[in-house]
Amino acid sequence: MKGILGLTIILTLAWLPTTGADLTLTGSTTVFPIIQAAAEEFMAKHPEVDITVRGGGSGVGIAALIDGICDIAMASRPMKTKEIKRARADGINPCETVIARDGLVIVVHPANPITSISTETLREIYTGKINSWKDVGGEGGTIVVISRDVASGTFEVFKKMVLKGKRVRADALMLASNKAVAQTVAQTPGAIGYIGLGYLSPHLKALKVDGVMPDAETISSGKYRLARPLFLYTNGKPRGLAKRFIDFILSPSGQKIVKETGYLPVR
Amino acid sequence: MARIVVIAVVSTRLLLAGLAPGESNIGAYTWFRYTAEMETDELRESRFGLERGYLRWNHRFTDRIDSRVNVDIYSTDKYPAGAGLKLKYGYLNFKGLIRDAKLTIGLQKSYFGLIYDWKYPTIQKCLEDKEKVIASADYGISLNGNIPKGYGEYAIQVVNGEGYKKYKSLVNLAPALLVNLRVIPIPGITIGGSALFERSGPEYDRRLLHAGIARVVIGPLTIWAEYLGAELGPEGNTTRGSGFMVMPALRLRELTGIDIDLIARLDRWDEDVEEIGDASIRATGGFNWHLLRGKKGKIGVVLQVNWVRTIYEDPDQGPEDAVMAQLRWEFVTKPL
Repeated sequence: MKGILGLTIILTLAWLPTTGADLTLTGSTTVFPIIQAAAEEFMAKHPEVDITVRGGGSGVGIAALIDGICDIAMASRPMKTKEIKRARADGINPCETVIARDGLVIVVHPANPITSISTETLREIYTGKINSWKDVGGEGGTIVVISRDVASGTFEVFKKMVLKGKRVRADALMLASNKAVAQTVAQTPGAIGYIGLGYLSPHLKALKVDGVMPDAETISSGKYRLARPLFLYTNGKPRGLAKRFIDFILSPSGQKIVKETGYLPVR
Repeated sequence: MARIVVIAVVSTRLLLAGLAPGESNIGAYTWFRYTAEMETDELRESRFGLERGYLRWNHRFTDRIDSRVNVDIYSTDKYPAGAGLKLKYGYLNFKGLIRDAKLTIGLQKSYFGLIYDWKYPTIQKCLEDKEKVIASADYGISLNGNIPKGYGEYAIQVVNGEGYKKYKSLVNLAPALLVNLRVIPIPGITIGGSALFERSGPEYDRRLLHAGIARVVIGPLTIWAEYLGAELGPEGNTTRGSGFMVMPALRLRELTGIDIDLIARLDRWDEDVEEIGDASIRATGGFNWHLLRGKKGKIGVVLQVNWVRTIYEDPDQGPEDAVMAQLRWEFVTKPL
C-alpha cells in the first residue's frame, strides 16, 4: 500500500509543471508571435529574466489568469462579463492593455482564382448554404471550410463580425491555432480559412473582403472592417516584471516587433 | 419508472439532436468513494461505492437557444436497490432577451444560497442540501443573469418548491418564488442573499427560507460563510430552523508547487431552535489533491480525503466519525 502511495506521489510530482519562469504568458495564438518575439528580445537585453509563452487560445489564457497559473493572459478578444465576474469573485482584478491591432485575413490556397469575397458570401460558406467554389465565381469543387476552435478569440471575433452569431457548419474543420489553419489552407487547394495578419505568408492567398484588401493602411483607417485590437490582461495594473515587459512592448522597440510580426502598432 | 423516464428523455434528446442544427458536447462525472463510519469509536460501516455519476449532454441549437440534460447515476450498497439513475437537469436556455441574462425553463438548479454553484470542495453537500432544507434542482422557470462589468449575478425563479425528487401528491398547488442576488463590490469579496417563499406545501403550511452568503479570497486563502434560516408553518405557529457554515480553504499550489487544497469546514444546524436536543455540529477536515486539471482549470482527476466528526446536542447520542476518500474524475468532449 505504501509502495503504491509512494509511486503515485512520484508520478504526480513528475507530472507537475515546473517552468520556474519569472513571467508566464498564456493564451491567444494570434498574440503569440508578438509576445514570443518580444520575450526573446527582452530576455536578450535582460539575461537574468526568464519568460515563458504558451498558446492555447484566448479563453484558456483568461482562465489561466483567473486560476493564478499565468501572470499575463494574451487575448484577441475582450473579456466576457461572466469571465470578469469569475475573476473578481476569485480576487483577480482584470486590467486590460491594448498592444496591437490586427485584421482577420480570409485566406485560400494560392492556386485558387478567387480574389475577392463579400461578408455575406463568407457567412453563407461558413454556415453551410454555399458548398461549391462555382457558386462564388470559382472553377468548381467542394469548399473545404477551415475554422478555429471555440477556445479561440479569433473564432469569437469572426463569429460576431462575419457570422452575426450564427453557427459554423457542422462539417467545418475546427483547428486549435492560427498556424494550423495557415498550414492546412496552404496544403489544401479547395480550402478557405481565416487567420491573424501575422500568419499571412507567400503560401497563402489573402482575399479582399467587400472589395478591400487587408493591410496596414486599410486596417488603420477602418476601411477593412474585419479588424480588432489585441490585448494583454493582468491582475490589477501591471507591476514589477510584468510592467517592465508590457512597457517594453509599448515602447518604440516593442512596437517595431509588433510591426515586424505582421501586426499594426498602437503607438 | 426512473429508467423509463430517462430512456424516454434521452431518446427524445437524441432525436432532437439528430434533427436540429447546432452542436453538442457530452460530459461525464464519476465519484468513486471509500467510506468508513464510526459511532462512538466503533466501526459501523466500511464500504466502497460509486456514489455518484453524471452524464451531461449540452446542445446548442443557436447562439440564443441551448439545452442541458443531466442524468444522475449511482451504484452503491448504501441503498436497497444497489444502483439507480434519475434525471437531474433537463432545461432549455433562451438568451438575448435581456443583456447578459437567460430565461431557463425546465428541471433546473435551485438558485439559493450556495447550492447552485457548489463544486463540492468537501465531499459533503452544502449545508442546505445536506440538511434537506431545499433540493438542488427543481421544476420551474427562472430569469438569471450577470450584473454588468462583473459586479455579480441575480436570479428570479418560480419553481414547484418541493424539489426534483418529489412528484404527484408530494407536490402542492402553490409554486414557490425564489430570489437570489450576489454582489462582488471589490475583487475577492462576494456577498449575497437568497429567499424562497411558498404559501403552502404537502408537508407544511407556509415556508420561508433565507440564506446569506459571503466569500472572501485573500491570495491562496478562500473563506466561505453561510447563514441559513427556515421558517415552516403559519404565523404564530412557526417552526424556526437556523444554521451556519464556515469553510476556509488554502490553495498550496503557489506555495509548494503541488496542486493541493487544504479544507476545513464547520457546520451547525438546528432544525427547531425552540426544541432542545435536535441540533448538531459537523466538523470536516481534509484535502483535495488535483492530480490532473481539466481544460480551463476545471476538475480533471482529483483525490478528495475528508474526515468528518458529527456531534449531537442530544446527550444520549454519541459523536459519529466518518473517513471518506474519493477519487473523482470529470471530462467534457469538444463540440460534436
